Amino acid sequence: MEPILTRYIQESNSYTLDFFLKHEGYQGLRKALATQPNDIIEMVKASGLRGRGGAGFPTGMKFQFVDKKTPKPKYIACNADESEPGTFKDHVLMERNPHLLFEGCLIGCWAIGAKMAYIYIRGEFYHVQKVLESELAKAYAQGYAGRNVMGSGWDCDIVIHRGAGAYEAGEETALIESLEGKRAQPRIKPPFPAVQGLYDCPTAVNNVETLCNLPCIMINGAEWFAKLGPEKNGGPKLYCISGHVKKPGVYEASMNTTIKELIFDRAGGIREGHQLKAVIPGGSSVPILLPDQLDIPASFDSVQKAGSMLGSAGMIVMDETTCMVWAAMNLMHFYKHESCGKCTPCREGGDWLWKILARIERGEGQMRDLELLTSISNNIAGKTLCAFGDAEATPPLTTLKHFRGEYEAHIREGRCTVPADWRAKGVAEVAH
Amino acid sequence: METVTLTIDGRQVTVEKGKTVLQGAIEHGIKVPYYCYHPGLEIDGSCRVCLVKIEKMPKLQTSCSTLVAEGMVVSTEAPDVVEARASVLEFLLINHPLDCPVCDKGGECPLQDFAYSFGPNESRMEFPRRVFDGEGVKADVDFGPTLMLNRNRCILCTRCVRFMKEVDGDAQINIVDRGYGSEIATFQDEGVHSLISGNLMDVCPVGAITTKDYRFKSRPWDNPEAIDTICTFCERGCNTTAWLRAKPEWAKGALLVRTTPRLNPDVNGYWMCDIGRFDYHWIEGDDRLHRPLVKMEAGLQQPADWREATAKAADRITAAGTGSLRFLISAHASLEELFLIGRLGSALGTPEDGVAISWRAREKPQPADTKFKVPPIDAPNVNGARDMGFPVKASSDGRPDISAFRQQVEQGRVKALFVFDPGPPGSIGDVSWVSQARASGKLALLIVQGALITDLARAADIVLPGASSFEKDATYVNYQGRVQAASRALPAPGDAQEDWQIFVNLGLALGITLGYTDSAHVRADVAAAMSSNAAYAGLADLAFARPVTAQHWLQASNPSERWKWDVMFQDLPPVKFAGRPDPSSIPTVIPLTERD
Ligand SMILES: Cc1cc2nc3c(=O)[nH]c(=O)nc-3n(C[C@H](O)[C@H](O)[C@H](O)COP(=O)(O)O)c2cc1C
Ligand code: SF4
Ligand code: SF4
Ligand code: SF4
Ligand code: FES
Repeated sequence: MEPILTRYIQESNSYTLDFFLKHEGYQGLRKALATQPNDIIEMVKASGLRGRGGAGFPTGMKFQFVDKKTPKPKYIACNADESEPGTFKDHVLMERNPHLLFEGCLIGCWAIGAKMAYIYIRGEFYHVQKVLESELAKAYAQGYAGRNVMGSGWDCDIVIHRGAGAYEAGEETALIESLEGKRAQPRIKPPFPAVQGLYDCPTAVNNVETLCNLPCIMINGAEWFAKLGPEKNGGPKLYCISGHVKKPGVYEASMNTTIKELIFDRAGGIREGHQLKAVIPGGSSVPILLPDQLDIPASFDSVQKAGSMLGSAGMIVMDETTCMVWAAMNLMHFYKHESCGKCTPCREGGDWLWKILARIERGEGQMRDLELLTSISNNIAGKTLCAFGDAEATPPLTTLKHFRGEYEAHIREGRCTVPADWRAKGVAEVAH
Repeated sequence: METVTLTIDGRQVTVEKGKTVLQGAIEHGIKVPYYCYHPGLEIDGSCRVCLVKIEKMPKLQTSCSTLVAEGMVVSTEAPDVVEARASVLEFLLINHPLDCPVCDKGGECPLQDFAYSFGPNESRMEFPRRVFDGEGVKADVDFGPTLMLNRNRCILCTRCVRFMKEVDGDAQINIVDRGYGSEIATFQDEGVHSLISGNLMDVCPVGAITTKDYRFKSRPWDNPEAIDTICTFCERGCNTTAWLRAKPEWAKGALLVRTTPRLNPDVNGYWMCDIGRFDYHWIEGDDRLHRPLVKMEAGLQQPADWREATAKAADRITAAGTGSLRFLISAHASLEELFLIGRLGSALGTPEDGVAISWRAREKPQPADTKFKVPPIDAPNVNGARDMGFPVKASSDGRPDISAFRQQVEQGRVKALFVFDPGPPGSIGDVSWVSQARASGKLALLIVQGALITDLARAADIVLPGASSFEKDATYVNYQGRVQAASRALPAPGDAQEDWQIFVNLGLALGITLGYTDSAHVRADVAAAMSSNAAYAGLADLAFARPVTAQHWLQASNPSERWKWDVMFQDLPPVKFAGRPDPSSIPTVIPLTERD
């Protein structure tokens, strides 16, 4: 499949408005503005576009759920918080193709009857903010945003808001709270944002990549889009491949492509002299897939069938030098650090899990710690206020499931038995 | 009322539509623990301890945030619910200091109680606990003028955060930092500065927020008696509970150890203000009048017995001419007292402008959009006085306008003045002009009946010691026009008497037979006199609380949640919960045991 979203990103000026306009820029929006909002929602539904932020929820449905009868304003909140470990696709889109995102935001607003889109970017994306702001100014100056968008008589604003640097701010209701100037902590659902979101008004929260797919749907049609991938997994998809591969990076492919192809053909395979040990296919929050499970399409449905999730499509590839106890501990350090602390199991349990994992990793664990890890993880998963809890329970559960032997070896030997060459470099250098 | 019927633990229950599963469970005596939920605050869904299983829902649900629905099938006892609940309690306890023996909340602590009934039997935590400001009571840090904060005990339920935001109207408390490091804080550690700060102690489900006033003072089981009453310190008339400490004769210190709010959705909700909560110390303070005082020739006030003082008062009034007696009455006078003053006045021939009603009014500093406004008028019965036909004149700022009356006194046109002031210090408003008139000789006779030795009482020729509103059964009409009862919790100090009694005796000495032997009879006559006013219909039947001796200390526990204790905690510590109590055995009211 020819890249669609990232086709020109290697061009030095791909991010500029001039370049964008020469390459079908804002043509999707032009079409959209000539189409009834409801028809756009039907098109998005027919295209099978699913949210690229992690949950894979059908975007057309989300647009439809937005309460359109209310006299309140409606909003698009673009989730550009991209903080899931191993995930780095949205920032490429924003840095190299910002107008595509603006165009997607505007189409989304038109479809749901909003006149304002907020792009909530991650606190650390200072450089991205610079690009977005200067390009947005150009879009405003040339009539692609703001008053009378493309001469249609319709006004729509785009606001760029940079967060303060918290993973949890990417959870849709926490993002809304943060946009409102509060702590990035999630709200209890229901009500869902589509009914009561930003400033208690109907809001569609959409991932950057999701919105970037709207222009090509408008231009080429729903059927074209749906046919790019397997059933219900249409469209182009960006994959972030990191870890022990020869060519880590962002790759655009159809969801017909297998994980194996992505790792071995696109990313060049495992680094020289090493073997694949495990893959986390959807950002750090999903279960591990083993080497013999990778010959499956990298689609939402196939990965789920294999027992994991496509999530944010951040594929973390690990070779045999990776100690799974250490990997779980490292991830847990992230989760306990990023827990927002609002609900009890995640706030208290995450830190407890990390302490136990660190103790085992140091070689001071006991066999009963393994039951404790399992029990605490199960007590977190499914019991928390937001999906963070499920994410945080995953690293210990999935590593224990597939690599229990490594845990037992740590406990028995009092040290790591995995031939981990990076250890020579010192943990601090590698871990943080 | 639209209702829905659902099944909880196999029991069909009918609940008002729009309520949550948790509320439905509580109403029907089905035990579900909760921390972040508070009936007076918005839903947060954060503590996760109220998890229940609902048929057709894949995950356990927080009952506090799930609305009841027709035909819903809920289980609070399924094994996965029991386990999840226990695990949340385990999580809450792994970092809790468990210093219950030195914690003010001990004995009335939902964390203790729920952990006992639903928590795991032992902890699996092997790492040092999280510590914030220090270990033990050293961790208690200043949290503003009225409160202390112990962050180690905090379970981050955010009830305090939401109280300040939603009720106080000034969001002074929030959580700083995040995750495991989250802690309750105020801007630059300034603490809470609010006129309703004491409610934070009530809403806090643990001993993290305590009041300086009650700190280390008592234990719930040392306060076996509690009296439901109302606060009379302003015209709102918050419904409250007065707590009495068990105290041997010889022990020092006060009987009254605290007042806490009592739920009345129409008057005060779950709340009361800090004036009502903390400014009660005068009641057992050093300035109380214990004996009648009579001024001697040399100008010194000497203690006297009642017979002597009343006779003296009657003699002096008669000498001045009974028709010349004038009355300056605090709006702290109850309906009964006002009625008796009215009867005395008409028997003596007091003219209509011979009576003035006075009070103090002051705007209270509060956020503009507070949900709990403390009214400016510091007296409970301005409306009662008005209803009973007394000349109540107020200026636009709420202050009494008694200028004409004052002029009469200052111009020497009043020969004898009777002042009645049973309220807290200063609550009658400015009366310095009375003392001045007496000192300058413009006023020849001043009789003061009241609770405290004030400047005014010091200037008086005769002082008659009366009772505070904690020491008598009396009724008041609050700012909404609602007739409410304040119940007797304590005896008046020394020889001091309930005020209705003093009026009756003074009447007798003046040859006027009012003919009452207790305040209930006075009240019955007030009710008859006011029968044309519908608001007074229930007056004669108003129930007065008697000190409750709880059979179990929990029954007289934290009143803001007492409805919960009443229905849910009949078998609680030290007996661990085993099975649901038989609903028919659950008393809905605390049995009253009259104290002799
Ligand atoms: C802890 C947590 C972090 C998340 N972080 C992100 C994120 O950084 N970016 C994102 O698009 N979605 C993130 N999500 C998912 C969002 O909640 C939401 O599902 C998504 O933005 C919806 O957009 P989509 O339908 O286009 O995928 C996160 C969810 C959770 C629970
Ligand atoms: S699960 Fe974690 S991140 Fe989500 S609300 Fe609870 S504490 Fe916050
Ligand atoms: S201080 Fe008390 S009320 Fe406030 S969050 Fe902590 S436990 Fe809850
Ligand atoms: S608001 Fe008035 S009645 Fe209520 S507690 Fe305060 S002083 Fe008492
Ligand atoms: S009471 Fe329901 S989550 Fe706290």
